[in-house]
Amino acid sequence: MSQASSARVGRSRGRRFWGIVIYELLWNLRKKKLIGMVIIAFALATLSLALPTLLGGLTGESSVRNPQYVIEGASIGGLGFFLFGLVTAMNSMSSEFEGGTIIPLLTKPVSRTVIFLGKLTGAFLTLVPVYVLLFIYQVIGGTLVYGPQSDLNLVVFVLLGSLLSTTVWIAIVFALGSISRSTLLTALVAFGVFVGLSIVGTTVASFSGQQWVLTYLPGSGATGYTNLTATTSINVTQQGINGTSGATGLGISVSSGTDSIGATLATLVLHPSASVTFFRQVIQIGASGVTTTMVPTYTEPLWFVAAEAILIAAAYVFAFCVLSWFFFRRAEVTE
Amino acid sequence: MTAVNKLSLKVERGSVHGFLGPNGAGKTTTIKVLVGLLKPDGGSVKVLGQEAQGDRPETRERVGYMPELPRFPKHLKGYELLDVYGRMCGMAEGRRREEIPRLLEMVGLKGREKDLVGKYSKGMQQRIGIAQALLNEPELIILDEPSLGLDPVGMVEVRELMKGIAKQGTTVFLSSHLLSEVEQVCTDVTIINRGTMLASDTLQNVSGMLHGPSILQVGLESITPEVVRAVEALPFVKGVSQSINTLVISLDSKEDVRAQVSRAVTRAGGVIVAMSMKGHDLEEVFIQLISKSQEGGVA
Repeated sequence: MSQASSARVGRSRGRRFWGIVIYELLWNLRKKKLIGMVIIAFALATLSLALPTLLGGLTGESSVRNPQYVIEGASIGGLGFFLFGLVTAMNSMSSEFEGGTIIPLLTKPVSRTVIFLGKLTGAFLTLVPVYVLLFIYQVIGGTLVYGPQSDLNLVVFVLLGSLLSTTVWIAIVFALGSISRSTLLTALVAFGVFVGLSIVGTTVASFSGQQWVLTYLPGSGATGYTNLTATTSINVTQQGINGTSGATGLGISVSSGTDSIGATLATLVLHPSASVTFFRQVIQIGASGVTTTMVPTYTEPLWFVAAEAILIAAAYVFAFCVLSWFFFRRAEVTE
Repeated sequence: MTAVNKLSLKVERGSVHGFLGPNGAGKTTTIKVLVGLLKPDGGSVKVLGQEAQGDRPETRERVGYMPELPRFPKHLKGYELLDVYGRMCGMAEGRRREEIPRLLEMVGLKGREKDLVGKYSKGMQQRIGIAQALLNEPELIILDEPSLGLDPVGMVEVRELMKGIAKQGTTVFLSSHLLSEVEQVCTDVTIINRGTMLASDTLQNVSGMLHGPSILQVGLESITPEVVRAVEALPFVKGVSQSINTLVISLDSKEDVRAQVSRAVTRAGGVIVAMSMKGHDLEEVFIQLISKSQEGGVA
């Protein structure tokens, strides 16, 4: 009898796995938090599309044609990746334990490993239609507002990169949820990690000249520019910083972090032989005002930056998933 | 703190086994160990002859479980919930299509399967809880307080459901603090307190374990003075009363005396049409056992 039931479990493992995936997908796609997040993302995308035209209308300027709008501007962004990751993965672990819905799930004839993998797959697959729709919306909107778009084939790279970037946060939230089994604690710690890495980490690393560290942490990573040699120092006035996000003449901005994989891949396809120079910032306050000097620290080929970001993201996904699985397998339901 | 200590349970196949104990006795803890939600510090746990400790899907394949006050994802509809759980049980689409409507009808949720589970009343949540526990046609179904929070009508319906499940040959393990429920539904009973087993036997034996079976009811074709005198003359009879064609005999014995009574009645010319022993009711036994164990604990 034991062998018979073992054989039955083994035979229909695929069906059981998809059962978990469907359970997760149905739950996620009806979640108010995720629906709210999607509405906000679409609203922001609309704003990004419409604002320049609206402002142009007010000042009497004709609308700007920008064939690179989608490739340069269509991104969900680091905060978006984090929030989508958080919203998608939070319920998968901590909410199930908190709400008691984990009990019927864990007592079904499915191994905890299969449940875990099903949940992870479900969380990932939830993002796919959401991101695909967002990118389609931006492509259509970008074409309507900024005219025909070039290099649209690169959207696929940006999309895949975005999915990988978000999966890093999903894995982190999964691990936090499995360990703490508290939604509040998971959200707070995840926010702490995100804010700590994005703001504090970036600021400290940039000014200390140790921004290479950011490459190895989840988040936006270190920022560098193409088309420069490592010996160039550039003075950027306060005006310059405020005026444009990337100072004129610096080339294309490239970030080494796990949040920038999509954009880095798109840049790599367009400029396969480019190199990226990373800088540290030095702020000087003098009689003429505040001057920021960007001092080159190191240069890497763009392909290496992209490959490194993908590998680091994959390593984080793997490490946090293993951690999460370890705690999930051993979790006892006492309440 | 030890929640359950040296508890050895044996549940007969095909029986409806009541698992009784006051709040905090360790009933739910025991059940959670049986279904793999908790790990015991020591000992072994076998369910249907298979190891049940830890993550054992092959054991859970044969067991259905309804937790105390079950909670399900609110965003799923009743049918969807059973469908995804059915997939998790390895059921093919055709079998799910057959089984789910049957179960929905059985638990009285037909017509409400398209509603979100979040909109279900407490009683409906209990019903879908029973349905999901029956999905994989388990050999053993474990029900933890299935009547908790139900109104009297709901309680009666759940009891009828349990009787129906037992009739189909499924072994039912019913944890409850409602003595009347156990008395009406169960064939066997285990009583625990503070994680220790106080009694485990057939309902009849447990009911009679403190003072012996106290009442024997004998249905006769007709009652004659000779028959009454013959019964009263038996050494273990404390008293006899009559109710239409039934003799209600008070006994002073722990032995099964039905054969001796039968012989005495027949010799006196009586014709027996029915005979049943009635022990002390479960409530009385339960209270005495719990009180004793608590006195023991205090001492």
